[in-house]
Amino acid sequence: MDLSSVFFIGNIMNLERIPNEEKLSLCRRYYLGGFAFLPFLWLVNVLWFFREAFLKPTYTEQLQIKSYVKKSALGLIVWVAVLTTWITIFQHFRAQWGEVGDYLSFTIPLGTA
Amino acid sequence: MLFIPVTLCMVVVVATIKSVSFYTQKDGQQLIYTPFREDTETVGQRALNSMLNAAIMISVIVVMTLVLVVLYKYRCYKVIQGWLFFSNLLLLFFFSFIYLGEVFKTYNVAMDYFTLAVIIWNFGVVGMICIHWKGPLRLQQAYLIMISALMALVFIKYLPEWTAWLILAAISVYDLLAVLCPKGPLRILVETAQERNEPIFPALIYSSTMVWLFNMADSAEPRNNSSHPVPQQENQGECLRELRNHTPEDDGGFTPAWVNQQQHQLGPMQSTEDSRREIQELPSARPPPVEDEEERGVKLGLGDFIFYSMLVGKASATASGDWNTTIACFVAILIGLCLTLLLLAIFKKALPALPISITFGLVFYFATDNLVRPFMDQLAVHQFYI
Repeated sequence: MDLSSVFFIGNIMNLERIPNEEKLSLCRRYYLGGFAFLPFLWLVNVLWFFREAFLKPTYTEQLQIKSYVKKSALGLIVWVAVLTTWITIFQHFRAQWGEVGDYLSFTIPLGTA
Repeated sequence: MLFIPVTLCMVVVVATIKSVSFYTQKDGQQLIYTPFREDTETVGQRALNSMLNAAIMISVIVVMTLVLVVLYKYRCYKVIQGWLFFSNLLLLFFFSFIYLGEVFKTYNVAMDYFTLAVIIWNFGVVGMICIHWKGPLRLQQAYLIMISALMALVFIKYLPEWTAWLILAAISVYDLLAVLCPKGPLRILVETAQERNEPIFPALIYSSTMVWLFNMADSAEPRNNSSHPVPQQENQGECLRELRNHTPEDDGGFTPAWVNQQQHQLGPMQSTEDSRREIQELPSARPPPVEDEEERGVKLGLGDFIFYSMLVGKASATASGDWNTTIACFVAILIGLCLTLLLLAIFKKALPALPISITFGLVFYFATDNLVRPFMDQLAVHQFYI
């Protein structure tokens, strides 16, 4: 990895104690990772770095971290919208779609048409 | 501090057992490690079969523990890490897939493959990232609790009655021996790790706080300021810092047999099953490190979570006293955990977390089921309030 590994080992809980470059790098990696169909990763990114990006006094990397957090939030909102739309459509029309509906279904509720 | 995660894990297991009937249905499938069936004609035969099953399981665990110690001694870290990675992968994807499917069936919810794929993919990948790489501590703790619960559920489903209780008892004894005896494999592991001044295995231990490793000194030694960042790099990854050697708690261990029975031919599971097992044995509770750069925290092995939850889950699944017994076992385990932590504070060395809690749990289970419940029933029947 990089220089920061020398200073700590293990999972990060406390963002306080890692250097800023490391925070930026982590934020960026989480942001990039989210493009692999991982809105959850974007959510974690937003929640974890929210305080760092918006509620802390400014430091050099903060601007970039802010931009990553904003972009992650944007991506997350898009995903949520798409998923909600799809789920609504599916749940509403599943019965009417007949065979296609069954083919798409992982579990089919019992006792309904 | 450790009570909350242990409680959460048990709550998840009990809630699942009570609501999703899949985990209490005996489909007749058993793990490959417990080949003898318990549905025999005579009680004697059943007792014999369950003892044989337990013996096989325990010997598998012992072998796995020894293999792990040997691997560790000969520095085959890659093998161990790969093993853990793979078993985590299995747990996070395959088992949670099954779990989710059963939950949806129970609540009669329609689910399409696309949404399901998105959910499982996200859950699994973020879990792997948090456990094996870097992630927020709370999320990592949550994932560890979830995989322990999933594992406990697998055991509850696939181990027959008497075998399960015998295994619990035998594992506690083994834990005790392996951690405290001078030649015990786990103790050797711990000591080797201490000599080399390095953390044992990442991602196998639940830690209540995060620790900064500026030195890898053992708390028994005075703080030594040499840090060994380089050799540890490969072992780091994620996990927890081990000041005290962490027990490699494996969170894998799905039985190939089970998998085979599910018509999935996943060969390499064997290792996971075992590693999981042995993880159990590894010393679980560890005293907090005393270096001042760190935050104190107590670490508990994942195997302990699994067995505690398995005990409480079995109690809720099969006890005639229902909630009485479940709550009694729950309290017993927490009391045992308290005592273990107390001993940890007194002795300041790695201690087995299983024996005390499991003993109390077993005693309370059998006592409540056979003594307290009939007593309460009779009181209710005669409308006699005390």
